Amino acid sequence: MSSSAIDGVPAIELRALRKTYKLRRTETVAVDGLDLVVNRGEVFGLLGPNGAGKTTTVEICEGLTIPDSGTVSILGRQWGQGEDHAIRARIGVCLQETKFHENANVREVLSLFRSCFDQGRSVDEALALVSLEEKQDARQKSLSGGQRQRLAVATALLGDPELLFLDEPTTGLDPQSRRQLWSVVRDYQAAGGTVLLTTHYMEEAQQLCDRVAIVDRGKIIALDSPADLIKSLAAEHFILIDGEQSPSDEDLLAVPEVVAVERQTERIVLTVESVRGALPLLLQIFSARGIEIDGLSTRHATLEDVFVDLTGQSLRDGEDQ
Amino acid sequence: MRWRVVQMVARTAFLEFWRSPAAVFWTYGFPLMMAVVLGFAFQPSPPKPVPIAVVEAPGANAVFQSLQSSKRLAVEMLSPELADEALARGRIALLIKVDVDGPVLRSDPTRPEAELAHLLVHRALRDARQGEVAMARIEVEDRPGSRYIDFLIPGLIGLNLLGAGMWGVGFNLVQMRVQNLLRRIFVTPMRRSEFLAGYLLGRSVLVIPEAVAILLFGVLMWGVPFRGSYMAAMLVIVIGGWTFTGIGVLCASRARTIETIGGLMNAVQLPMWILGGSFFANEALEGPVRWVAECLPLTHVNRALRDVMLEPGTLADIWMPLSFLAAGGVLCFAAAMRLFRWQ
Ligand SMILES: Nc1ncnc2c1ncn2[C@@H]1O[C@H](COP(=O)(O)OP(=O)(O)O)[C@@H](O)[C@H]1O
Ligand SMILES: [Mg+2]
Repeated sequence: MSSSAIDGVPAIELRALRKTYKLRRTETVAVDGLDLVVNRGEVFGLLGPNGAGKTTTVEICEGLTIPDSGTVSILGRQWGQGEDHAIRARIGVCLQETKFHENANVREVLSLFRSCFDQGRSVDEALALVSLEEKQDARQKSLSGGQRQRLAVATALLGDPELLFLDEPTTGLDPQSRRQLWSVVRDYQAAGGTVLLTTHYMEEAQQLCDRVAIVDRGKIIALDSPADLIKSLAAEHFILIDGEQSPSDEDLLAVPEVVAVERQTERIVLTVESVRGALPLLLQIFSARGIEIDGLSTRHATLEDVFVDLTGQSLRDGEDQ
Repeated sequence: MRWRVVQMVARTAFLEFWRSPAAVFWTYGFPLMMAVVLGFAFQPSPPKPVPIAVVEAPGANAVFQSLQSSKRLAVEMLSPELADEALARGRIALLIKVDVDGPVLRSDPTRPEAELAHLLVHRALRDARQGEVAMARIEVEDRPGSRYIDFLIPGLIGLNLLGAGMWGVGFNLVQMRVQNLLRRIFVTPMRRSEFLAGYLLGRSVLVIPEAVAILLFGVLMWGVPFRGSYMAAMLVIVIGGWTFTGIGVLCASRARTIETIGGLMNAVQLPMWILGGSFFANEALEGPVRWVAECLPLTHVNRALRDVMLEPGTLADIWMPLSFLAAGGVLCFAAAMRLFRWQ
């Protein structure tokens, strides 16, 4: 990291950011008055469903998209004020989707991107960072999804950036590739880097991010550390009971620890303040009514629950997880 | 502009082409095949004898014999019915009936060989009456340098510079835009000028070996002469290649889809295919069409190439078209610099 990493300004500062897209008659508000500060040295996550405006926000930060209004400050500089080149030399970008030259091999792709940075790390270092040494002579078509994504991250690390943008870096990857990328991000952070990443995987946000902003319809609806976001819920635990029949809502809510009841097909989901307190009482109700239980499980609240709690909608939106 | 960046972009653009077998075939193999096929098609050869028939009749034999002495006529003796049918079907160009007053010639005036047949028959009969069998010798123009293939090979080189320069960059650049690669490059500290210059360089060096291949092929296989300066010819190829690549980059500087760039490049190339003087001399054109032809870069590439191949032209003879081309290339590059969009 260069010495300017320690100067006082935050890595990213967005104020009243707004961006609308007009397609024929319809107008889409992609970013709707967004304020955000990303501090130096943190991994910051934008978590939200597809179409929430995450990519638009990140691309505004990267200087790829010009906002309709609002201010953007990247490492203390603004886009379009003659400093674009200087900003680009200090950031690393991994777009949501990029295909490199079909016929170029991994090393050649990295060499091309390396050439445009006056300072940075060597191609070999970048290869080692993402563990692609063995694939350095492989062309694009022979790389797996995970390897392509690691290459994309490696191109972003070539300039030894102070600030790294990762737009859905692990979407569509298998769990192992996902973990590999997480460790790349952690190493980068450990070396003093700042990351702004987007994801619609709550697990990723929970595992990787110091702070998370939950984005919905272009607005930030919650912002905190993953743990504090979960703590903000009325109750952090869930009891899931499977069975063809179930007691009435009144009976269930009569248990003091039960906060909410949600009915799914042949399953009820109870939000409880504590599993240990609620479970014996619930089991009593079931046996008193002679209702059979086919299955029972408990889980701790996740960011997904925070999102559902805030929006009444599911984060995953029918997507694979 | 940082030279190392330009170099890397050029290298990437070059390798991207070189490693794609389909692209290599269509730019190198196909034009050579075209040169072979057209070369064969336009081989100079003595004209074929014109088929005619004499109808069987008393006294027809003498006429038949005097006509047979003409090398340029293929005469046969047919019964009246067969002769009529042969004429109706177009198997013969002319039919000769001999009656008491002498021979009567019948033909279908809409057939182009009819005129020629008339002429040849008249001459053969006249010569026979004078007791001279010899025909005026008709020479076939087949000296190197004035055949159609000699005209064609420089034209094909020109067309090829056009095609390779434009298709090579056009599709590739738009493809890069479609697959988000240009946006990815945009967010690095690479300058537009570095990218475009590298790209232009990497692609325009490709057209040189290709043009040289056709040139060598024409000279070795068809005996096309090379009378002028080699240096000048190389310069035409390099500058022509650069100009067409520049036009390709300009076309691709804003197009967002493969369909758009395909249509755009066809629209630019079509007038050059027709009026650029590759297949026929566009100096024969008149009026506004001629002015259009004079504005087409291909016209000047072809003209300069013919000047140095078919005539003993040197740099001094072609500096005008060359500067026109170079200026065109610079203009296109400058316009592309302004118009180019990454996304
Ligand atoms: N170039 C564009 N033209 C029109 N609409 C767009 C464009 N880019 C994004 N949008 C719209 O803006 C909204 C936010 O998109 P995006 O920022 O890509 O969301 P996310 O990355 O969170 O999935 C979506 O409704 C999307 O359809
Ligand atoms: Mg997105």
